[in-house]
Amino acid sequence: MLVKHFRGRLLGMACAGLALMTLQSASVAAVGESFAITAERVHVGDGTVLKGATVVVNSGKIVAVLEAGAQLPDGLTPIEHDGDLSAGLIALQDYSGAEDENGDSTRALLPDADLVHAFQPMHSDYERLVSEGITSVVLAPATGSVAGGLTAVVKTHGGRVLKRRAHLELSLAMDALKHDRYPTSYSGALGEIEARLEAGQGAFGDVQAGNLPVVIRANGKHEVQRAVAFAKKHELKGAIVGASRSGELADSLKDAGLAVIYRPFTPGMETRSLRSVAMLADAGVLFGFGLEAPYRHPASLRLAAAACMREGLDPTAAWRSLTADAARIAGVDASTGLVAAGKDADLVLWSATPLDLGSSVVAVYVDGVRAYGEDQ
Amino acid sequence: MRIQESKDRTGRALSRAAVCAALLVASGTQALAGGSDGAAPKTSWKLFAKEVYTQPGEVLENCLLLIQDGEIKAIAPGRSDPNEEGDPGKDGDDGVLSVACLTAGMIDPSAGLNTGFASVEQSEEVQPHRRAQDSLDLFDYRWDRQARSGVTTTIVAPLDRNVIGGLAVALKTAGSDVIEERIVRADVCMRGAIGKSPSDGNRPWGRPTDFYQRRPTTRMGVEWEWRKAFFDAGMAAGDGKPGSEGPDELGEVLAGKIPLCIQAWATQDIRTAIFLKEEMQAEGFGTIRLIVDAAAEAWKEPDMLVRSGTAVILPPFTAGGRTEESAFMPWNTPKTLVDLGVPVALSSHGAKSAGARLANQAAFAMNGGLTLDETLAAVTTAPAEMFGIGDQVGKIRTGGPADLVLWNGTPFEATSRIVGVLVDGNLVLDPR
Repeated sequence: MLVKHFRGRLLGMACAGLALMTLQSASVAAVGESFAITAERVHVGDGTVLKGATVVVNSGKIVAVLEAGAQLPDGLTPIEHDGDLSAGLIALQDYSGAEDENGDSTRALLPDADLVHAFQPMHSDYERLVSEGITSVVLAPATGSVAGGLTAVVKTHGGRVLKRRAHLELSLAMDALKHDRYPTSYSGALGEIEARLEAGQGAFGDVQAGNLPVVIRANGKHEVQRAVAFAKKHELKGAIVGASRSGELADSLKDAGLAVIYRPFTPGMETRSLRSVAMLADAGVLFGFGLEAPYRHPASLRLAAAACMREGLDPTAAWRSLTADAARIAGVDASTGLVAAGKDADLVLWSATPLDLGSSVVAVYVDGVRAYGEDQ
Repeated sequence: MRIQESKDRTGRALSRAAVCAALLVASGTQALAGGSDGAAPKTSWKLFAKEVYTQPGEVLENCLLLIQDGEIKAIAPGRSDPNEEGDPGKDGDDGVLSVACLTAGMIDPSAGLNTGFASVEQSEEVQPHRRAQDSLDLFDYRWDRQARSGVTTTIVAPLDRNVIGGLAVALKTAGSDVIEERIVRADVCMRGAIGKSPSDGNRPWGRPTDFYQRRPTTRMGVEWEWRKAFFDAGMAAGDGKPGSEGPDELGEVLAGKIPLCIQAWATQDIRTAIFLKEEMQAEGFGTIRLIVDAAAEAWKEPDMLVRSGTAVILPPFTAGGRTEESAFMPWNTPKTLVDLGVPVALSSHGAKSAGARLANQAAFAMNGGLTLDETLAAVTTAPAEMFGIGDQVGKIRTGGPADLVLWNGTPFEATSRIVGVLVDGNLVLDPR
């Protein structure tokens, strides 16, 4: 048992090394075993819950989801789980392993800084993420820059980079405006971004050409209004980050086709902000949650969704915001976010229904490799 | 960068008026109830006032106003109060609002409703191409406070920390959350400052560590920056070549298309502003439409104001007369200037205390000798005309926006109070 566990780790480290050396997104095949997990309830992620279904995994991928009582293919290690199974959670906006090296306060704009270089898969931050059922994160630049850099979507175990250059991260929030660094004003920030888009160099060129989505940081309601107007004017696609009250501007967000990434909600979050999430969901605006680990506890991702449910958010929408919808915002929905054939085997075994905060993580698989929990 | 065309609200208003008039004929006064069909805020009212101060010098008695979709449709004097006749309508909402007096909504040309340091690009001292419009926060509680205290239009400029801060915007204080729908006029003036504030924080000594190591560090430096910016703009306009950054905007100022609003408290700074205007005129660069904001010491050398045709905005009165930058403003300042024919507007200049609100400033100005009509002008028509928005706001007229202040007695009297406010027909303060 121990040996097997250790081998998994070694394999993961090897993959990580490879990923770092080649810096190729999604090209490193994750090698896992062939097995089949039968759970009491399988949360597919689109709202359907399959009772007693079996998820068949081979070489890091889900190859089939079989209904209860179906004949299992031969040669698979069967695993019985007395609880719930779901896709792994995806945290949008995370700083794990970066150790404050993911920003440069001397420059307001570093659009071509590539966050994949801040990825340290062996860092202990990732173990904590896995232990809460988080299997993918979007590595983001530190706040405080008008253009912070290019985000990267990575797996929390095994060191695989799922997607490089996922978004260009911009900020029109007050904390990106420094009194002793150009630009010092909203007008200056807007003007500079506009000029860079017009010049069309590097990452800004990709954004201008429609090949790279943006995430725009905006905290206050007026900042969200400004960011949405700017995105609409320049036909930018992507998401607004921060924006705790963005539900109150749901119509304009919908109109501009932008998603929202909330910052992690903490206990004691004001009701108006929590209700704002339900308003956004009702308007049909795509949304997900950031985590900002290691500054926030990884459990806050699930807590955020649960707190929003308390103020009227539909449970299916809440769950999607942590999985399938988060995958769409991260641009990795082709391979993650759902328990379905063809997706990566990023699976979480829970002791009970995952959005019930009384449940806990029993085991986690990333790319078909057991990353957390005892063998069964 | 091109100057935005001023929004043609008048044109739209006229076409809307035609449609509404037809509607009125078709459905009689029933149409006036309006706004009761759903979530849209009610902007149609019937209003009765014993005295309606339509504009300075004109009072209509026992007047019924019909307001539809935020616009004044009809003004009918010589009526009797429907409420006293025992015809208050079906219910409170569809009835008639009765008050003692009505004035046009007030205009605070210097309420300071910007977003502070985020509204001014300090990396360079001359920024004529910046727009305050890009840094608005319509969700700030101060908007509601202004609206409820009777101010229905205000001008928002960048914070006065630059020599030339950028273009200001005139906005209604209430209504839509969408900035474009609140604008009375974009690029309503070019804003800058003379005095201490543009050089505050700049350093003449030490090794350069940031961009505050620059001119201006003194009043003289500020003056030099002003003259250089306008000389460059004037020269660029002359040979048709663009000069330093933003000559297009300053060129519009020189051509008199956009007024120039300069904050200058003390008499030495007011002089500097006037000399700038006169120097540009002498050079043949054009005639600047100059407005001096926070002109506390304008009373000291009023002849210069008269000579140059300069308008002034006064800051709030203080108990001892001493204002910012050591400038002194006695209570008879508005009266002195108005008597000389200087266009005068009152303002709260961003002050937050209840005493600084515009209605109170008006009362103080009357205490200093201004007549009721002159006071009304100083908070409505005078600021509107200074900024070229007099055809849109500042008067109560048929076809105009329903920007109205409802009083329980004679306006601006110390014993009177604002009991209701309408902004484009939106009842932001309910008199009932």
